[in-house]
Amino acid sequence: MYRYDQFDARLVSERVAQFRGQVERRLSGALTEDEFKPLRLQNGVYLQLHAYMLRIAIPYGQLSPRQLRRLAEIARDYDRGFGHFTTRQNIQFNWVALQDIPEVLEKLAEVEMHAIQTSGNCIRNTTTDHFAGAAQDEVVDPRAWCEIIRQWSTFHPEFAFLPRKFKIAVTAAEHDRAAIRVHDVGLHIRQQDGVTGFEVHVGGGQGRTPHIAALVNPFVPETQILDYLEAIMRVYNRYGRRDNKYKARIKILVSELGEAEYIRQVEEEFAAQRASEKIDLPAAEVARIHAYFAPPALATKAASSKQLDAAKAADPAFARWTRANLHPHKVAGYASVTVSLKPIGVAPGDATDTQMELVADLAEKYGYGDIRVSHAQNLILPHVALDDLPEVYKALDAAGLGAANESRITDMIVCPGLDYCNLANARSIPVALAVQKVFADPAYEEDIGKLHINVSGCINACGHHHVGHIGILGVDKKGEEFYQILLGGRADEKAALGEIVGPGLKAEDVPAAIHRVVEFYRTQRTSPSEKFIDTLERLGHQTFQEALYAAG
Amino acid sequence: MSSVRPKLKPETPKAVTGWATATGRSVWLRADGTWTEEAGLLGVFTGDEAEARLAAALKQEAVVTDPYFMEVTADGKIAGRETLRESMRAEPTLSFGGAA
Repeated sequence: MYRYDQFDARLVSERVAQFRGQVERRLSGALTEDEFKPLRLQNGVYLQLHAYMLRIAIPYGQLSPRQLRRLAEIARDYDRGFGHFTTRQNIQFNWVALQDIPEVLEKLAEVEMHAIQTSGNCIRNTTTDHFAGAAQDEVVDPRAWCEIIRQWSTFHPEFAFLPRKFKIAVTAAEHDRAAIRVHDVGLHIRQQDGVTGFEVHVGGGQGRTPHIAALVNPFVPETQILDYLEAIMRVYNRYGRRDNKYKARIKILVSELGEAEYIRQVEEEFAAQRASEKIDLPAAEVARIHAYFAPPALATKAASSKQLDAAKAADPAFARWTRANLHPHKVAGYASVTVSLKPIGVAPGDATDTQMELVADLAEKYGYGDIRVSHAQNLILPHVALDDLPEVYKALDAAGLGAANESRITDMIVCPGLDYCNLANARSIPVALAVQKVFADPAYEEDIGKLHINVSGCINACGHHHVGHIGILGVDKKGEEFYQILLGGRADEKAALGEIVGPGLKAEDVPAAIHRVVEFYRTQRTSPSEKFIDTLERLGHQTFQEALYAAG
Repeated sequence: MSSVRPKLKPETPKAVTGWATATGRSVWLRADGTWTEEAGLLGVFTGDEAEARLAAALKQEAVVTDPYFMEVTADGKIAGRETLRESMRAEPTLSFGGAA
């Protein structure tokens, strides 16, 4: 993985020192909250419903064991013993006192981590496929380009005060696991005539005005991508709506200008950029960054494993876990393991200090020291030998991390909701957990197959409800929580926005309604291999809507 | 902060709440002028006294952040349009970090 050079180290350490002074002045009252707020946000510090929240960047979702152990230590020493992994592959601590944050940032800097650009109207953490570097279906490892984009966008002076926040996602696999079409910029790395380049999508996003991104250029050669991003950002920075926060995202600009006119302006800016400022990354520098992401030296293994087969035969729960939580690796004899942070009854995406330490240990012992965070709020061990899977599962299961539910109905994306969030209108976690209970039987869940439920506690859509196969959106109606149900969303290469299917339901009615929809699917599917989303798209929403609202 | 705070009539009973600047914990103003992390101990104010209490709180930048009025009943129970949000602040229903 990438290691800081002297510039990174200096930037981060100077920022910690600067923020320490700002916090001291805030605590003394020399800075008012109005003066301090933009400063704290630039350092990932929010003030939430009950406490300050610190969001820490995990660039493209990659962690070393040392870093994860440090996060565990922070959880234990400065929080309440847990952290929350987010849909942008970051981590949030929900109970850190302001007076402790400079110390926390110092400890993070020691392990090459920070909270810079995790908030504010700037370019945020670049996210990617959590199986990057391991997936069979990728054309190249996208992390090197994520790192190049990180370096380009960090403290970029022209883009530090954009009209609104800006999120970039990158994938290099045909099956999009990074939800690129619901990002401000989505980049799909492709190869054409031996040249690596980027298919560029712009203007996707969720929130109160969801949009699927427009394809603005089918192929930008890699040598020109930073210039192209400059052009995208410059048009946005110039014409993005600064007069209205709710219309300030790039999706609104693309929509209001129209795709054709937006593309024309970007291409014009791009041509001007190439003629004048032109960012020419030296090939040696690109190669240097790529070298950080060299594949691990995996020992040669047979494509199948007798130990694995024997363990599966002996333990049905382990066998089920292998059917759900493994992803094919590009090297024979290995798999990528999803460590589910969605056990029944626990807030989705939460991990305790000891669980983080366990995953760090397992990564060191069995996983070539590599850990990822997925946008679905799980952890990944991308390189595990098939022979080692029984031991890995045994350790995970003993720590409450053995849920066999990756991409299944209890593996929900859920925002913190009104239990934590100052923006939320309704709680997300309790309704998600109530739905989870209905599907807690592992055999039943396995029979249902792949089904994404995403839950948000307000229209800002941090829980990605627009792109869940089933979306749940919490609203506040005169002091009472109601939940609107959406059907038909998806975040993959066939990205689509779900549709609200009818009036909101009371919290207590949501689990039964979801159960009716799922049962309807099970009676209608052509075979157990037809996924929920495929049945829904084949039959249309109307029949599912009737099932949803049928008298319970 | 986030929610659009309702304008309350002078005679409406209200409390003053905000966040402790050092820790970020939710706090409520007691009748004796001190701050408490227990919503059950909040002071109830009306009219000019309420305005004076909030004005004083706004000057305590080092102690409390972003103080504002929240509607309560005469006996200090949370009331009004923001009942759901304020109830969550006062009495969380989630076991944070544990099994929910």
